[in-house]
Amino acid sequence: MIVAQQKPLEEIKAMIADAQKVLILGCGTCVTVCFAGGEKEVAILASQLRMATRLEGNEKEIREFTVQRQCEYEYNEMAADYIRDADLIVSLACGIGVQTVNEQFPEKLTVPGLNTSGLSQPTEQGVWVERCQACGDCILALTGGLCPIARCAKSLLNGPCGGSQRGICEVYAERETPCVWDQIYHRLKELGQLDKIMDIRPPKNWHPSRDGGQRKIVREDLRL
Amino acid sequence: MNYAKKLLAEVGLEAERLEIFFLSSAEGVHFAEIAADMTERARQLGPNPLKKSSGVKPWTQMEVKE
Repeated sequence: MIVAQQKPLEEIKAMIADAQKVLILGCGTCVTVCFAGGEKEVAILASQLRMATRLEGNEKEIREFTVQRQCEYEYNEMAADYIRDADLIVSLACGIGVQTVNEQFPEKLTVPGLNTSGLSQPTEQGVWVERCQACGDCILALTGGLCPIARCAKSLLNGPCGGSQRGICEVYAERETPCVWDQIYHRLKELGQLDKIMDIRPPKNWHPSRDGGQRKIVREDLRL
Repeated sequence: MNYAKKLLAEVGLEAERLEIFFLSSAEGVHFAEIAADMTERARQLGPNPLKKSSGVKPWTQMEVKE
C-alpha cells in the first residue's frame, strides 16, 4: 500500500498560520490502513490544532471530513461544501490526494499534512517496510520474488556487493537490515534456480521509471 | 498512554495531566490514594488553560449531501 507519516505539528501549524477556517481532509483508503490520515487521525489532528491554537491565543475554526478516496473526483464531491467554506485545506492523504483536491478545487489551496514515503508492506503491527519502487519494469520473476530495486540500498541488479556481511547490509546504521541479494541467493537456491544468479544483467532500462519524466497510462479500451 | 501524552505535550499542555492506573475493584484504598495524588497534581498544575474562552465560535459540522 501507499504509506505516509504525519508531518510534525509545528510544520502543520506554520502552514495554517494565515487561515482562520481550516478543513482537515482525510482519506479512507491507504493512509487509513497505515494509520496516518484516516478518520481517527483527522480527529486527533483537528483536536490538537484546536487546543494548540487556543493556547497560543489565535484560535482557529477547524473542521473535519474524511472521504473514501481522495485521489478520485467523485469521492471528493462529498466534501465540496466543506472545501468551499474553508480558507485552507490540510489534506491527510498521500501526495496524489493533495494534488487531486488542488486540481478539483483550484480556488482553495490544499496543503499536505503527511509526508508520503513509499509503497510498503505491513510486516508486523506498527511496522511498514518498503517493497516496491514502482520502477515500471518488474524483475521479480528473475530474483525469486524479492525486489533488489526497492530493497537493495544501491538498487543493484548484479548483487550482492562487498558490503553484504553475514546477510546484513552495510549501509544502515542499525546493522539489522537484511541484504536482499543474500536473501535472493537463498531463495533461488531453495527454488533450484541458482543458475539465475549467474546471469549478468545489463544496466536496467530506467525509462519506464522516473527517467522518462512523469508517467501516464492510457487504456483506450476503458475510456468513455 | 505514552502516545496520548505525546499529543498533549505537542499541543503545549502538561502531559502530567493525564495518567492511567490499573487496579481491581477490591483495591479501594489504592484507588483513594491515586485520586488524592491526581487531585494534588491537578492543583499544582493549575486550571486547564483551555477552559478560558477565546471568543472564537466553533465552526459547526455541515450536512453532507449524498
